[in-house]
Order: sequence, then C-alpha cells, then structure tokens
Amino acid sequence: MRKKYPDAGMNMTPMIDVVFQLIIFFVTTADQQNKEADLKLKMAMAPNGVAVEKKDPRTITVDVDNKGRVFINRTPLTIGALKAILGNAVQRYGQTLPVVIRGDRRTQHEAIRSVMDACSFAGLWRVKFSAVKEKNTSD
Amino acid sequence: MARKRKRGETPSDELPMTPMIDVVFQLLMYFIFSIKPIDVFAELDVSRPSPEKQQQEMQTPPKLIRINIFADGFAINDLPVPPAEMERLLFKLAALDRNQTIMIMASNVSPHEMLIRVLDLCAKAKLTNLSVVSTN
Repeated sequence: MRKKYPDAGMNMTPMIDVVFQLIIFFVTTADQQNKEADLKLKMAMAPNGVAVEKKDPRTITVDVDNKGRVFINRTPLTIGALKAILGNAVQRYGQTLPVVIRGDRRTQHEAIRSVMDACSFAGLWRVKFSAVKEKNTSD
Repeated sequence: MARKRKRGETPSDELPMTPMIDVVFQLLMYFIFSIKPIDVFAELDVSRPSPEKQQQEMQTPPKLIRINIFADGFAINDLPVPPAEMERLLFKLAALDRNQTIMIMASNVSPHEMLIRVLDLCAKAKLTNLSVVSTN
C-alpha cells in the first residue's frame, strides 16, 4: 500500500526561528524596563572605600535621588512611611540590621539626614554610605 | 548500488542545522554587544548612636577631631581647609593616632558628594572611628 503523504515530518526550522525571535524580544524589552526603573542615581566616587563583596542578606538599601526623594526597591516613600518600614524591620530582625544609603552625589545632605534620622528613630545604628569604587559604565 | 528506500521513509528526516546556527550566532552577537560592565560599589562605614546605653558610654571619645562640611568647603576643628589640603591633613592626623574619633559634621545644604569625599579620604588615611552628625 502506498503512503498518502510522502513527507509528513514537521519542519522545525521556522518554529525555532520564531522562538529565538521571541527570546530576543523579551531580553531587549526586559533590559529597557530595567533602564526605566533605574533611578539614574549618579553616585559619588570613593576609590578608597571597601569594595562590597559579601552583603548581609538583611541589608536595607535606601536610595535618595538628586531631588531628595527617598526610595526602597524603586518605590518612592515619605519619611513617615520609611520610619514605619524600618520600625517593622527592626521588630522582625532586631536593631543590628545594616542600612545602606545610596545617595545621589548632587543631593543635599538634608535629604540624607532625614534618612539617617529615620534610622535613628527605628533604633538602627549600622548605617553605611554606598559609593562607586570603580566606574565601568559610560554615564 | 543505490540503497533502496524503505516504505514510509521520508526523503530527509534530519533537522537542518544551518538556520539554527545562524540564529544562535545572531543571539551571541546581540549579547556580546549589549553586555555592559557593572560599576564596583564601595561601602563607607560610619558610627551612629547606638540605642544601647552601654555602648553609648563606651563610645566616649578620648580625642575628637571635628571636620565640618559646608556647601562650599571644609573646615577641620573650625579652621577652613582648602579641598586640596584635606588629604594631606587627614594623613597627618592619621599619623598621630589612627583610632582618634573623627566627627564629621555635615551641613544640611552641603552636597552628598562632599560627605562621600571626606569619608573616602578617611578610608584612604585608614581612620576608622568616624561619626557623622548633621548640622543646620
């Protein structure tokens, strides 16, 4: 008996092409999202500071942009909200929680002070300032 | 002598690899061109008042150097210091005693960059007892 369809095997090549195109699309758009979400903090240089190698997983990183706005994980916060968050964190993990302040180099100290005061209010005393040790990006 | 094709066998069962390799190379090129080296970050440690009374008592400084940061310059123990002189003076202070307490008093209107600069210079001079205080 003769076979009705001589070449019934599925051609995989177009499917693989489309899959790779989809991967490229998602990779590029995800990168753009990261760029948009980045606060564009221009941090000050500190070539003599200790490089960050091991980070305490409990570390709370507070960002302060050039207009003095405060963010945690790119979420804008008022100082009252920051105090509440730090207070909750202290209740859960204790007062030895490290806090890293990533301030824009152009921001006035007043904004950094308000973050430091919020830390003191919550009883947090392990405060560090983040800076750029080696600049590799072009901006 | 040519091999006789069996029944139901398609002419080419193998997946053509060339287009796949083409796409893989495209991806490789994309990642090579889009990769960006990341900045190396440093952390500058400072002392803040501890909530525990015992630690507060232990922090009573034997010697105290005050560094003022204003919007337009620096001062050490109330004496104005040009920015270029800061490093030399801090190294001089560090040569006397590395454990002396440095109280950095930053003015509200001073840019954060200046505080980081002082902390960086202190790190360079290996001065470790640093306190940051804000002033109006």
